[in-house]
Amino acid sequence: MYRFILRRFLWLLLVLFVVLLITFILMHLVPGGPWDREKTLAPKVIEALNRRYGLDKPLWQQFTNYIGGVLHGDLGVSYSYSDRNVTDILIRGLPKTATLGALAFLISQLIGIPLGVAAALKQNSPTDYASVLFSTVFASIPGFVLGILMMILFSVLLHWLPTSGWGTPQQLIMPVICLAALPAAQIARITRASTLEVMRLDYVRTARSKGLREDVVRVRHIFRNSLIPVVTIAGPELANLITGSFIIENLFAIPGVGRIFLNGIASRDYPLIMGGVLFYAFAIAIMNLIVDVLYAAIDPRIRYD
Amino acid sequence: MKKSTIFFSLLSVLVTLSLLLTGACKGSGTATTGDKPSGEQTITLNLGGEVNTIDPNRASWSNERTVIMQVFDGLLAFDTSLNLVPMVAKEIPTVANKGISADGKTYTVKLNTKATWSDGTKITAKDFVFSMKRVFDPNLAAEYASFYFDIVGGEDYFSSADKSATEQAALKDAIGVRAVNDSTLEIKLIDPLPTFLQLLALWPVYPIREDMVTKYGENWAQPAADGSMPGYIGDGPFILKEWVQNDHYTFVPNTNYWGTKPTLTKITYVIKEDANVAYAAYLNNELDQSGVPGGTEKTTMADPNLSPQIQRAAQLVTYGLQFNVTKPPFDNKTLRQAIACAIDRAAYIDQVRGGVGTVALSWIPPGMPDFDATLGTDFAFNPTKAKQLLSQAGYPNGAGLPKISFQYANSGTNPTLAAFLQEQLKTNLGIDLVLEPYASKELSALVNAKEFSWAFYGWGADYPDPDNWLPQIFGTGAGNNKTGYSNPAFDTLAAQGLKELDNTKRLKIWADAQKLVVDDQPMVFVFNRETFVLRKPWVKNMVITGMDGQIAGDMFLRDVFIQK
Repeated sequence: MYRFILRRFLWLLLVLFVVLLITFILMHLVPGGPWDREKTLAPKVIEALNRRYGLDKPLWQQFTNYIGGVLHGDLGVSYSYSDRNVTDILIRGLPKTATLGALAFLISQLIGIPLGVAAALKQNSPTDYASVLFSTVFASIPGFVLGILMMILFSVLLHWLPTSGWGTPQQLIMPVICLAALPAAQIARITRASTLEVMRLDYVRTARSKGLREDVVRVRHIFRNSLIPVVTIAGPELANLITGSFIIENLFAIPGVGRIFLNGIASRDYPLIMGGVLFYAFAIAIMNLIVDVLYAAIDPRIRYD
Repeated sequence: MKKSTIFFSLLSVLVTLSLLLTGACKGSGTATTGDKPSGEQTITLNLGGEVNTIDPNRASWSNERTVIMQVFDGLLAFDTSLNLVPMVAKEIPTVANKGISADGKTYTVKLNTKATWSDGTKITAKDFVFSMKRVFDPNLAAEYASFYFDIVGGEDYFSSADKSATEQAALKDAIGVRAVNDSTLEIKLIDPLPTFLQLLALWPVYPIREDMVTKYGENWAQPAADGSMPGYIGDGPFILKEWVQNDHYTFVPNTNYWGTKPTLTKITYVIKEDANVAYAAYLNNELDQSGVPGGTEKTTMADPNLSPQIQRAAQLVTYGLQFNVTKPPFDNKTLRQAIACAIDRAAYIDQVRGGVGTVALSWIPPGMPDFDATLGTDFAFNPTKAKQLLSQAGYPNGAGLPKISFQYANSGTNPTLAAFLQEQLKTNLGIDLVLEPYASKELSALVNAKEFSWAFYGWGADYPDPDNWLPQIFGTGAGNNKTGYSNPAFDTLAAQGLKELDNTKRLKIWADAQKLVVDDQPMVFVFNRETFVLRKPWVKNMVITGMDGQIAGDMFLRDVFIQK
């Protein structure tokens, strides 16, 4: 198990390096640099800016300098956020994004799993239909549309909640619901399908014929096994939610990582783009690793030796 | 685009209902006699996007000015009619009061001895010397440094990055700015510059505290971890008390302010990038002023509850459609004129811009010296003339015309503008326009490299004078000349205009220069932008000018009060 984790970790480093290299190349291939504006800067000013940020050096040297910095924990300074350190910018944005993501994850699980299980246990009942309706509706409405609808209803019409911003619990409600809606719908659907499948398996019939009580069959035999596909998508889902949603953060004016990253791309803020990509790649890889480890805990057939 | 369309099909139905529920308010934003402060004197405004920097020497974007203007006062400033007025300077330097030497090359500015920093210490000429030299610091790379290259030695110091520290120090010392005594500043120019006083009213040369820069380094204009701004000491009416990056700014009055103290006790800037959200926040009373999302201006004007809250004002901004005149087919002047006659600007403003803005037929906007309402009427919308000119250009009814294309940023109302142009050229000239959308930075790169063919272009005043409007954009090889336009007659006039000290003669020169440009039509002049915002009726005396920053009325927040 430890060797497995170690091996995966070494792979991770290689993956991150390749991701950075590709990002660096793409970033410089995309037309338009950080100083391209409608109102042109004087050539001497552009020269001075390039020198200030090391952009006057050849590309390979810029890349090796950057990697050297990363190895020392320095992600460089942002051009578009007043020379602030990229590490510092990401660290300040992270708690907000993570709070939002963790809450959305929790809510999506708390709604999705019971809904899916309930639907499966009472297949073709009104409960089932309600669950399917829920998952279809929320799987098809994009988050920003839901966000705008809620904003109109709860802020503009009813004046119950602030439209956007950060700092009070009320400001969390709408973005969390927006973020949770889609995963909750997906989880409900998957849980339902996998529960239905597990219910028909031989060992469930065996458990019942052994004379086990129905609730024991449901919890120990059906529920536990039906969770495997749910855990599979929960990992990337958690990574996805914790690293944040560009659109939802932007819509609700939340000072999180996603919004910062998006602004970084728009302004061709190279260090911020690289830092953001590094952060995302790292977060997703780690979450996937955690999921793989969790598999072993849930499914007795999986072992890492 | 998709997002806003969905939002508005929903919102247009619901807004009226919401106003019925909340109870509509009536009133006007400008102060009338009898208005006086009452209730809590606080205001919340939307900055629209986070800034790069609020270090005055380095700032260049409008939202940065919106922050800086509250905290700093310069030597001079613009009043609500955009005339120069003294601020920290005791008077406006003139030849008569010996503030300007007879040759126009030496400026001697006397300071107002009452002026202090927000911590109570006196402002001296040294504070300005420090700031003006720092603008040229080669390592700082201040974006507006080039505006001040007429100061003796400025450009040399700015270009000295490869020199040794000793040489750099010598170049810095040689800059023609010095403190004669605590209350007298002397600035030497290489050549006479008639608009230098206007440059003294701009943010890059606001005074800066050397001790703060020494203590905090370049982070002097950065918030501490708790959002406080210990190094950010200014001399303006407000203090920036808190800056939580990407979230909000809080300003409170500067209790040591040496001028008329402001009435507002708190200004909050929030950052809502999405225009739809800002609008919803306004309707939910989270903002005291907000723009409306593009395309909804007309429904807003028709709304009986919202229309009294509308504030409109002309801006010193002109938009045009610039041709790449270095490449066929737009190297053909008659073809450019034909296209200019084929575009119905009034219909564009009405259909695409929601009726906001005014038709422009020349470059310098109304509200500025040298604006000429009669100029450009030869190329006003006139389909018959357009067809004649097209035929004169060698393409009767468009026959033989090569493919023509229009490049635009795929955001905001640009795609609608592009579609509108396509339709106009088809209807009025029978020619097909190929539309080529780009990401905005990509478009800038394409245009700056002169690899475009035809594109949208806007210019806003750095300061309200023709010399900020003509030579930089239409001079041969000038920095903002994207069209590749080159006319020796224009260049001769521009060289004279930049140096002429007699203001009447000077304005005549620029007026003549503009005539040449309009006749050559390196761009189709389309419209002058107009501010269109909603403002709560309790906000009083908030005057919008043509040179505001990101927020309409931000130049004079010091005069605003609340009547609730």
